[in-house]
Amino acid sequence: MSNHIRGRIVGREDSENSPVQKRTLLSAEYPGSKKLKLADEMTDTANQKRPNFSALSTSPNGINKTASLVNTKPGAAKKLVIKNLKEKPKLPENYEEQTWEKLKEAVIAIQTSKSIRYSLEELYQAVENMCNHKMASHLYLNLTTLAEQHVKANIQQFMAESMDRHFFLKKMNECWQSHCRQMIMIRSIFLYLDRTYVLQNPTIHSIWDMGLEMFRHHIVMNTLVQTRCVDGLLMLIEKERQGDAVDTTLLKSLLRMLSDLQIYQEAFESKFLLATERLYAAEGQRLMQEHDVPEYLAHVNKRLAEENERLLHYLDSSTKWALIHTVEKQLLTEHLTAVLQKGLDLLLEENRISDLCLLYKLFTRVKTGLQELCTNFNAYIKKKGRTIVIDPEKDKTMVQELLDFKEKMDNIVSKCFQSNEKFSNSLKEAFEQFINQRTNKPAELIAKFVDSKLRAGNKEASEEELERLLDKIMVLFRFIHGKDVFEAFYKKDLAKRLLVGKSASVDAEKSMLSKLKQECGGGFTSKLEGMFKDMELSKDINVAFRQYMSNARTAHLLNTIDLTVSILTMGYWPTYVAMDVTLPAEMVQYQNFFNRFYLGKHSGRKLQWQPTLGHCLLKAEFPQGRKELQVSLFQALVLLLFNQADNITFEEIKAATNIEDGELRRTLQSLACGKARVLQKTPRGREVENNDVFAYDSQFTNKLCRIKINQIQMKETNEEQKATEERVFQDRQYQIDAAIVRIMKMRKTLSHNLLISELYNILKFPVKPADLKKRIESLIDRDYMERDKDTTNQYNYVT
Amino acid sequence: MADEDNSSDRVDNETPKPEKMFTLKKWNAVAMWSWDVECDTCAICRVQVMDACLRCQAESKAGSGRQDCVVVWGECNHSFHYCCMSLWVKQNNRCPLCQQEWSIQRMGK
Ligand SMILES: [Zn+2]
Ligand SMILES: [Zn+2]
Ligand SMILES: [Zn+2]
Repeated sequence: MSNHIRGRIVGREDSENSPVQKRTLLSAEYPGSKKLKLADEMTDTANQKRPNFSALSTSPNGINKTASLVNTKPGAAKKLVIKNLKEKPKLPENYEEQTWEKLKEAVIAIQTSKSIRYSLEELYQAVENMCNHKMASHLYLNLTTLAEQHVKANIQQFMAESMDRHFFLKKMNECWQSHCRQMIMIRSIFLYLDRTYVLQNPTIHSIWDMGLEMFRHHIVMNTLVQTRCVDGLLMLIEKERQGDAVDTTLLKSLLRMLSDLQIYQEAFESKFLLATERLYAAEGQRLMQEHDVPEYLAHVNKRLAEENERLLHYLDSSTKWALIHTVEKQLLTEHLTAVLQKGLDLLLEENRISDLCLLYKLFTRVKTGLQELCTNFNAYIKKKGRTIVIDPEKDKTMVQELLDFKEKMDNIVSKCFQSNEKFSNSLKEAFEQFINQRTNKPAELIAKFVDSKLRAGNKEASEEELERLLDKIMVLFRFIHGKDVFEAFYKKDLAKRLLVGKSASVDAEKSMLSKLKQECGGGFTSKLEGMFKDMELSKDINVAFRQYMSNARTAHLLNTIDLTVSILTMGYWPTYVAMDVTLPAEMVQYQNFFNRFYLGKHSGRKLQWQPTLGHCLLKAEFPQGRKELQVSLFQALVLLLFNQADNITFEEIKAATNIEDGELRRTLQSLACGKARVLQKTPRGREVENNDVFAYDSQFTNKLCRIKINQIQMKETNEEQKATEERVFQDRQYQIDAAIVRIMKMRKTLSHNLLISELYNILKFPVKPADLKKRIESLIDRDYMERDKDTTNQYNYVT
Repeated sequence: MADEDNSSDRVDNETPKPEKMFTLKKWNAVAMWSWDVECDTCAICRVQVMDACLRCQAESKAGSGRQDCVVVWGECNHSFHYCCMSLWVKQNNRCPLCQQEWSIQRMGK
């Protein structure tokens, strides 16, 4: 026990706030200081050699003058002492009694705060002498008795029937402080005893420890005193928690006392923790009702900070874990679900960055906090995301909203959730889940969004901004299950951009293509790449065609037309409605030339002309001046009719051109009702009727020399969209077949389950296991693979 | 026509009507090419002949093997992927559709 206490005190000596250490200046040495350790180390030599306490012998109080046995000069001391010892001088007969009386008088003087008649040096020497004459054990015993009597007497002041708690604590503190002060002084007188007799007898307490033992036994272990003391302390702490200013120095001193006396844990800590738990359990319940979530979280944060301050200022640091844990449990763990349900959605919705940071910080503290936060975060994204995706009314803004939503959530994960990987993964999972809640539409709209950004005339972004935007779109694209749906719609728009030369930037087109390739592999983009390749090849073909025409016998040509043909590979491009129209003879001549030229080069091919995609440049001789008109093929076919007649009816035009009815009405509308009206319609009006008569406008004027007459676009109908989706669905059959053959060719032999799981990795669209099974059956029928004869559910590749 | 101003103008303009109002200068046409086949699906691999055959698709990850995977016509005028047919004739030198002896009429280019 004594060693233990000594150890503890040694351990604490550096603490600036130690009530005892402040007083080390008063005495030459303080029990438990480093010098005590030094003495410990010197134990084995202490028997033979007396330590040289030069610090004491040169103390500035002039005691050294009276020193009779020790030479004041350090160094010389040893020799002299040894001589003296050898000579063994005789002591006066009643030396022990007289000396003890002297020491007793001094101790009582210290205990009663009176001045000591003898110099400290003289007393010290007296102790030394007694020790050196084998009176140590007696001396120790006497001292112990003296100390005990004094401490015992102190109990009375704490036993009064009723006592103000604060007053009690103050008194207790005074008593403790003076006990320490006295013991230090007493110990400095009896230092020699401590360093010889005590050290040589391990079972005996040092003087300091003996004092503590007395104080504990006679004062603090008294049930009434202890209860009053601890209750008083708890009362002060509770007051402080309620916001009152309290005497923290008093708190600190008394708690230190409990620690020094080894009863902090048993007498104080458990009661303290219980009080803490009760307080915060009630507070948590109440404030969850009264406050909104951000307020509540701020309060919890404040409480935790306060408790940490308490630890810093007066509580023993050993209480830290249990205290903080108790606060966290009562204020956080108990209310995790409630906090999340009541507040998370709102914080996310309103982008409350700092509140979310705090929420995350606090939830990190408790065991299931982050897990629950993550689950609720995920649920919010799914709920919110679904509202963006599911409502057809909001289709126009869906993609932009998705981009904004993703950016907002990303920002929250990185700023508030410390880029926690669990959260970013959960974010991805949630996006993937909700975006696929609506089949095909998001894929279609993302494709259209990309088109709007890649189309010429989109000046809202620089190249770099466009690139960044495409990257963001790719993130959304990654979540889409039906990637082939995206491809189908993307292809439709890409075709338009390529054929009309409306692409904003070749670099951006290529960049987007390579992003798609990177994401989905070459198989996914091969047809899109084929489209670019077709455009390149067409250039060469047209150069060769011009060459061909210059060598051909062209004398019979009705007109010289600059014909350029884009040759598209069927299958790469979207399918267009085949339309047979009647071309004027001059065009038929050129078309025939081209057919001969092209099919002569490529045997086994056929060409299908796509009038809907053609466009022309016409020279128009208006009375007011010559104009060049940039028109669609259909517009051109209509206008060319006016070379032969001035007034033509709708029916006549229809018969002459063979343009499909609806298409023709739109074409006439664009020529007679649009911005640049080169035709006049009778009667006037927007709708084209069967009996309407058209004439060219001889009055036509326009500032510009070259005029583009815009076509009236038919709104993409639902049927068209359905048709695109239908084609996508049909293509999936081929893709599944190809994927199965590819895998089987590589593996040669594979079990059904492994084949299915490999297929799921490869395919870029959702597919049911039953559908896969059907395709496998079909491939077995076609001898691409066979069932293994010995192992069930195993397939072999057939070469 | 209902407009009076217009009708008076029209009289003036009747005379200088040019010989040819509109002249076609440029024509940007679009044409789609495909193999000139009766049936657009290869009866052997059941993939459209415009796409690479099933084995070629499985072969190249890029899936762009179409250039090399051409179409072949028999004397019977039936057509297949050249790849598919050359494997087929190793076992059975007859057209899978009409059972005539297989001989190549022409190849796609
Ligand atoms: Zn085939
Ligand atoms: Zn092939
Ligand atoms: Zn045949």
